[in-house]
Amino acid sequence: MIKLENFHKSFGSTEVLKGVSIEVPTGSVTVILGPSGSGKTTLLRSINFLEPADKGTMILDDKVFDMAAASKKEILEVRRNTAMVFQNYNLFANMTALENVKEGLVLVQKMGRYEALIKAEYYLEKVGMINREHFYPVQLSGGQQQRVGIARALALNPKVILFDEPTSALDPELVGEVLEIMKKIAKEENSTMIVVTHEIGFARDVADQVIFMEGGVVVETGEPRDIIENPKEERTRKFLARFSNR
Amino acid sequence: MDNFLDPVFLLEIFEHLIKYVPITLGLAVGTMIMSCLLALMVTILRYKKVPILGKIGDIYVLLGRALPSMILIYLAFFGIPVLLMAVSGTNKSAMLLSGIPPIAFAALGLTLHTGAYLAEIFRGALQSVNVGQTEAELSIGMTWNQAFFRIILPQAAVFATPMMANQFLNLLKGTSIAFMISVIELFGAANVLASNNNAYLEVYIVTACLYWSTSICFEKLASVLEYNLSYFKRCTSK
Repeated sequence: MIKLENFHKSFGSTEVLKGVSIEVPTGSVTVILGPSGSGKTTLLRSINFLEPADKGTMILDDKVFDMAAASKKEILEVRRNTAMVFQNYNLFANMTALENVKEGLVLVQKMGRYEALIKAEYYLEKVGMINREHFYPVQLSGGQQQRVGIARALALNPKVILFDEPTSALDPELVGEVLEIMKKIAKEENSTMIVVTHEIGFARDVADQVIFMEGGVVVETGEPRDIIENPKEERTRKFLARFSNR
Repeated sequence: MDNFLDPVFLLEIFEHLIKYVPITLGLAVGTMIMSCLLALMVTILRYKKVPILGKIGDIYVLLGRALPSMILIYLAFFGIPVLLMAVSGTNKSAMLLSGIPPIAFAALGLTLHTGAYLAEIFRGALQSVNVGQTEAELSIGMTWNQAFFRIILPQAAVFATPMMANQFLNLLKGTSIAFMISVIELFGAANVLASNNNAYLEVYIVTACLYWSTSICFEKLASVLEYNLSYFKRCTSK
């Protein structure tokens, strides 16, 4: 289980997170929706300290972290128990697909080379990229790169995988293949996933919980059917209306 | 002038001067290696914004690029003995220094000069690496050192190589001022030869050719290096 309590974050005088609290049960998929500037990406990035929160507490399984006063060791601990899939893939440019997935296993988890290879190939197979394992990122399409990014995150067996708009930078025809993989792993891997996305369809089909954020606060939380088909809040309704004709 | 650019004479000059190419090369390559180490250290201190040391790095880079390399060489050659004498209060340490060949002081002065330029080249190269790379490393829990040496440096190196080659060629020619503190390298030997034989044109033409051909070798070497370092940017599989 991962639980965030009262997250605050400001950039200069702009308050981006104004006391956000969410709870994500183990093995569930939570989708965070909201207009741009609502703070959803910042929230995600504050979980693994890429954008340290000014205030807030996080409970990761049984460990409690004070987000504003975490030591270097605690930050490393959180990062080693979480993984992130980035909007711009951010594969290590100087490494092949296989090396990208192996890197964390060998360097961070101190796994043996052979064991890491087997595991990396297992996850590349899972995302359908095994036939491209020796390709460098520059030789892969955006969708392929993102699938490797997902394999890299999955292979670490993190307690939670953070997806930061994983399909926003993709060409429309490549979005589908990445969403398919994400659906597949949600079903097969039983991973805890927090997904920031604009893909309402994905939220409806896959999410166990949908959170709607706007202006740095959580407006509404609930099951996808309730939030998407029948939102209580006016702001949620307005936001979703823009997607209804998709 | 019946012996104007006499080929036999030119060949004699060539045979004499080519013996000094290894000295120039040794000075340049040795300086380059030390400069790279110095610059890498300074770059890391500045990149990590280490308190005090990072600031010292900033000041060094400013000074090192602002001062003529000849002043740095003079400071090393004449300044260090005086400094040691002042600090120790005796002549003893300065006497010890007199056993050190001038070429070492030249290397020190040139290293200070080149190191400052390389530090700026490295800084630019690090900035060329997408910030997303760092975020990806951190997100999987790599330590700073792991991330820097495995991901950032190999990518920055590709960017830095052409400019480093540039800097090296500059240095190769810059070694000629070591003559000012009595180091007899290629240019120094040429000066002596030219004035002894009163054959300035011939000697300097041969010297120019020697510098030129050496430079060409290193240009080729740099492009091979750049090609090999950029293996991950090519659009063919491994």
